[in-house]
Amino acid sequence: MTRGTLRRAIRLLDIDPRRLALALLLGTLALGCGVALAAVSAWLIARASQMPPVLQLSVATVAVRAFGIGRGVLRYLERLVSHDVALRGMTQLRTTLYERLATARPEALLRLRRGDLLARVGADVDTVGDVVVRGLLPAGVATLLGAGTVLAMCAFWLPAGLALAGCLLLAGVAAPLVAARAARTTERLALASRADMTATALGLLDDSGPLRVGGRATDELAALRDADRRLAAATDAGAGAAALAAGLGQLAVGIAVLVALVTGVPAVGAGLLSPVELAVVVLTPLAAFEATAMLPAAAIQVQRSRAAAARILALLDAPAAPTPTDCGPADPPLVAVDLAAGWPGAPAVVEGLDLDLHAGRSVAIVGPSGTGKTTTLLTLAGLLPRRDGSLTLGGRDVDQLSRTTVVGAVVVGTEDAHVFGTTVLENLRVARGDVTEADAVAVLARVGLDGWLAGLPDGLDTLLGPDARTVSGGERRRLLVARALLSPAELLLLDEPAEHLDPDRADALVTDLLADPRGVVVVTHRLTPLGAADEVLWLEDGRIRARGTHAELTASTPGYRESLDRERADQDREAERAR
Amino acid sequence: MRPLDPRLLRHARAARGYVALTAALGVLTAALVVAQALLLAHTLGAAVSDGATLTVLGPWIAWLAAVVLVRALVTAVQERFAHRAAARTVGELREQVVAHAVALGPRWLASGEGPSVVTLATRGLDALEPYFVRYLPQLVLAATVTPGVLLVVLGLDWVSAAILLVVLPLVPIFMVLVGRLTQGRSEQGLASMQRLGAQVLDLLAGLPTLRAHGRERGPGARVRQLGDAHRLATMGTLRIAFLSGMVLELLTTLSVALVAVGIGLRLVEGDLDLVTGIAVLVLAPEVFLPLRQVGVQFHAAADGVAAAGRAFEVLETPVAAAGTTTAPDLRTATLRLDGVSVAGTPHELDLVLRPGTVVALTGPSGVGKTTALEVVLGLLRPDAGRASIEGVDLADVDPSSLWAQVTWLPQRPVLEPGTIAQLVGGDEASRVTAAALTGLDAVLADLPLGWATPLGRGGEGLSLGQRQRVALTRTLLSPTPLVVLDEPTAHLDAAGEQVVLDTVRALRDAGRTVLLVAHRPSLVAAADDVVRVRAAAEVPA
Repeated sequence: MTRGTLRRAIRLLDIDPRRLALALLLGTLALGCGVALAAVSAWLIARASQMPPVLQLSVATVAVRAFGIGRGVLRYLERLVSHDVALRGMTQLRTTLYERLATARPEALLRLRRGDLLARVGADVDTVGDVVVRGLLPAGVATLLGAGTVLAMCAFWLPAGLALAGCLLLAGVAAPLVAARAARTTERLALASRADMTATALGLLDDSGPLRVGGRATDELAALRDADRRLAAATDAGAGAAALAAGLGQLAVGIAVLVALVTGVPAVGAGLLSPVELAVVVLTPLAAFEATAMLPAAAIQVQRSRAAAARILALLDAPAAPTPTDCGPADPPLVAVDLAAGWPGAPAVVEGLDLDLHAGRSVAIVGPSGTGKTTTLLTLAGLLPRRDGSLTLGGRDVDQLSRTTVVGAVVVGTEDAHVFGTTVLENLRVARGDVTEADAVAVLARVGLDGWLAGLPDGLDTLLGPDARTVSGGERRRLLVARALLSPAELLLLDEPAEHLDPDRADALVTDLLADPRGVVVVTHRLTPLGAADEVLWLEDGRIRARGTHAELTASTPGYRESLDRERADQDREAERAR
Repeated sequence: MRPLDPRLLRHARAARGYVALTAALGVLTAALVVAQALLLAHTLGAAVSDGATLTVLGPWIAWLAAVVLVRALVTAVQERFAHRAAARTVGELREQVVAHAVALGPRWLASGEGPSVVTLATRGLDALEPYFVRYLPQLVLAATVTPGVLLVVLGLDWVSAAILLVVLPLVPIFMVLVGRLTQGRSEQGLASMQRLGAQVLDLLAGLPTLRAHGRERGPGARVRQLGDAHRLATMGTLRIAFLSGMVLELLTTLSVALVAVGIGLRLVEGDLDLVTGIAVLVLAPEVFLPLRQVGVQFHAAADGVAAAGRAFEVLETPVAAAGTTTAPDLRTATLRLDGVSVAGTPHELDLVLRPGTVVALTGPSGVGKTTALEVVLGLLRPDAGRASIEGVDLADVDPSSLWAQVTWLPQRPVLEPGTIAQLVGGDEASRVTAAALTGLDAVLADLPLGWATPLGRGGEGLSLGQRQRVALTRTLLSPTPLVVLDEPTAHLDAAGEQVVLDTVRALRDAGRTVLLVAHRPSLVAAADDVVRVRAAAEVPA
């Protein structure tokens, strides 16, 4: 994380300088009203004590009231303008983030799904946006207001003005630096114990039963207490500096007043300063520190925003997908020769794959779990860069073709595809914008979801989503299959379409998919329905151990036959027990 | 929102001392504020009206400097202990909440409010920090400085005191009034804000899917649209929410202005002396300052108070009293379930667990097999039916005396940090024999440190299947008469299945009772007795 991080992220907020300037002006004027109120009040009282004609005071009495009203109104306007600026910035950042990720290399995107990265993105964008309202603006206002107040004070009495400048720097620069440093110390020291605390608490809550039965709950609670104790110790380490910052802020006000008093009193005696001016010079500093009082919190906010900005920039800096060099159209067949598939940076999980897929051809890929079947599908769809070999669509290299061309011909339905927080129909329209209700009903019936659809409260208009309880694991999987089936592409790659279904229904679904007139690759771990496939690839240890029709493999490949026998025996036993 | 929940003091020891300290510092601050104003007024008044010299004013200025120093010190002390109290209180509450949630059992944790306890314990309670550090001190000052200063002003100049006294109650009244007016709107606004925010995240989360379908370009405009709608909704809410802040500022600043003008006019008339005038002018804003700060910190503090409130709700959820009867010896005693139902899954389950037998629970997923195990283990009371050992109801049994006789291997093995040898237990010879049976020996052969390999929390460093083998070995070496296995083959391949079969046989040969949840037919076949678990819906069939 470098110092430029936050600056870059702020640039991405694309803040309108006029709006920011307006917010700055309003904020400065609002707090300026407070300072002016104190100064004019001091003048008013000191002058009044000399008992001049009342008329001489009338401007001051009106000004005092005006400043009293102005402060509240201006501050209200400033808050509205600044929040508007921040929210505009957040929208801009979110849009940029979306657009960059949409064109980033596909694997960067797939990685985003893993871990908590995504969950953090929303909060991080907000934190970066917050820097405007809670970091930059208070700093800007304090600077402008401080400079203005110091200049005005210097005009009255130079030593008091200089003292005020020093004290403002103490409260507005030194104290925030110390506070930010304290927050950083605490955070750094607390990092390990916070992770320990979270892990222990999560462990206790997730496995409360086993821990109690195993007699270890007490030990784990003691570990939690210990982690919290270390966390408190880390807080203590930073608290001293935080206390120093708070004390400095308070001390600065007093020093400014005292210096004004000590230098001003002899000046009055020497005739350099009028008594009324002395009152103004001594009492104004009491109101001049309101802006700097917000700066320690602002410094901490800047630090937080910087950390969030670093995480967001890491996402934005994900390498962009190479620009396609071949803009021509390309149609099936999809031909893989000696293809190797694997995640970038990890060893290839599948090697030596040959495949020729065109409309009307159905291929099943089977093998033990964890052998890289999903990775293979993503590679075939051009979503992961291939590790070796060649992959062509209509004789053209898939890597050189534009995504639009490839996706027009090949669509992959992965098992972890997203169900959007919208209606059933809109979720299906992800595949093709013009899906009609009749299409939707038909395809849902085809994957065996007609009963589920009938049970939905609003039919196709029922809202789904990650939080919706309406979708079980099996239903979700079949909804994704239905979506893939609606795609206009001529070739479909489907990942375990029948998982979570009972054997009979799973076999019926896979048989139906393999009979689709398009070109279909189905990854599955059930062998029974594969008679419907034109070719079956038997994957083992990252290589194609055998390939052929279902009948050929059953006859020639011992591993295949054993798996099939075990599957049948299980089914028979289950059927017997049900009876 | 309650400003200070008495339950906080009851449950968190660290909070008690801190509140006392804050109160003491609050009283001290009030005295210092008054002293500073009076000293300043006297010094300045004498200099302005009588032209007093520095020599005359010296002692006064020295006192003023002392007060300034002590005020800075008090502020620092307050800040110093606020952070400490916040960290300790959060820790104390966290421990109590987690301990109580654990005592409430897995069923409670999985239903209703249960899942939110995880967030509450790990992150939610941290919201108490701004409450302790920023809000509470200002609240105390509002109770000490505001009335104290007001009394002093009353003594100095009753007209100014009257102005302040009229405005003071208006502050909370207007706050409540504006709050009421805006509440409905804010809640509406907040809900729409959250919805819009979630939609953007949903699009981001679905980007790989959109991309797989070649539809990633369109939604960029949608993200901007949603963002703009979000901004408009938020600004609508803020326009009203900030009104309360404006009313507060207007009232307080304007009344200070009125006090200043009033003092000025009476000074001209000669009804008031300058020293009093300056003192009142300096003191007037101090009356409102704590109230304004309370308003500023209110929202941050409200989150903390809400989190504490949720913690107290958890702590006040009653835990069923544990039994006291010592469990009968499971080497000879039979454990039975008679017609046990828990919320429909399982439904009317009968189970007899005789010593030395292997009993398998089967049935489709979601039917309540794991729940049945939790009933057997005394972690869950059945809604209907009875769980008993030799006629003693499980509800009356001291759970620790039962658990001392049980080894439970849940679906996901739970391993504490330690070396594999420590985790597994037993002496070296028995360890090696057991490892050969469970296939752990093959795992160890790949580890350079072998038995001394340290594992992180939850078996970090091993695959799920490898952890399962460690857990199986540990089960084999445990001395308890009853072994409960929940889908022991779940993470294992065909070879692993054989390992489980061998382990179960070895356990039976050792005369131990085994209760297992089984899916694979081979495992079911190895059981002496098979009990099919049913859900309420499928009973008539």
